[in-house]
Amino acid sequence: MILAASSIAASSLEGQAAPDFVLKSATGENLRLSEYRGDVVLINFWATWCGPCRQEMPLLDDLYGRYQRVGFNLLGVNIDDDSRRAMQMVQELGVKFPVLFDENKEVSKLYEVEAMPVTVLVDREGRVRHVHHGYKPGYEEKYLTEIRSLLRE
Amino acid sequence: MTRIRFVGIALSSMLWVSGALAQDLAPLDSDSVLAAAQSLEVGEMQARNEFRSLDQDVQALKKEVLDLNRDLFLLEEELLFPANSQVAFFISVDVGEYFDLDAVKLQIDGKEVSNYLYTEREVSALHRGGVHRMHMENLKVGNHELIAVFTGKGPSTRDYRRGATMSFEKGIGAKYVELEITDRMTKQQPEFVIKEWE
Repeated sequence: MILAASSIAASSLEGQAAPDFVLKSATGENLRLSEYRGDVVLINFWATWCGPCRQEMPLLDDLYGRYQRVGFNLLGVNIDDDSRRAMQMVQELGVKFPVLFDENKEVSKLYEVEAMPVTVLVDREGRVRHVHHGYKPGYEEKYLTEIRSLLRE
Repeated sequence: MTRIRFVGIALSSMLWVSGALAQDLAPLDSDSVLAAAQSLEVGEMQARNEFRSLDQDVQALKKEVLDLNRDLFLLEEELLFPANSQVAFFISVDVGEYFDLDAVKLQIDGKEVSNYLYTEREVSALHRGGVHRMHMENLKVGNHELIAVFTGKGPSTRDYRRGATMSFEKGIGAKYVELEITDRMTKQQPEFVIKEWE
């Protein structure tokens, strides 16, 4: 059982090429990670039953709104078994970043997602630079610093 | 009087000290200055040359790494998909006005082997004449059955799902199978054709 957690653990993915994937999005398009090469990408794994995810998502949406026009993209990957619940939550929260559905959990396995949420930052060359497991208020400040640093590279 | 004498002695000793200091700080010989400047310049040039050669070494190393990476990739393909059992499946689109491709699923001999979601960019590349090598498989010599299921948006942007099947004979040597989506103008419907390359 995957539990919501608030701890930071090191990830073996840091420094490696981000595993490529393609998933269907909430708007019906298929979105592939490698097509964002050249942009800084934040991948956020979340689930409808995860309380910290609900707290975190609006803050991530703010980051997306602020930095999208300067080469930043955000992909929210939902891992619920039923994507309809995820669609409902997306509409409730009113987030604007692309939301993708990983019902088969293949992508979450690739990214070693064991607790929720997990936030992965990928640089312009497609390398995983930072991985954050869990969410506590204040983590968004870390994301902000890391995003700004990656955008400047 | 004593005070005046004292001040006088102090003043003259100050003058003597500053004179000694002035000797120590006398201007350097112009020849030694020139020599120092020249040796500095030589040192700078050497450092620049070293840096240039280091840079060249790094570039050469980078090229070697890229070449090695390419060789390893080709070797891996040869090992995983040896030519005598290799079957490759390609997707192509001819016009594609009546069908907006979303995904293709392949089954070989009843087993699902690939399920590929196409992005807008990939579909656009197919429309412009690109051919996508969707899947490679190792198959034994003999008869095999291929089922391809295409999903997407059909005419009038309705959800569309169509299958195509083909039996093929795998002989010795690599085999190439093309799954083509074409527009059948007479019926204003897409058509899915599977054909083998000779």
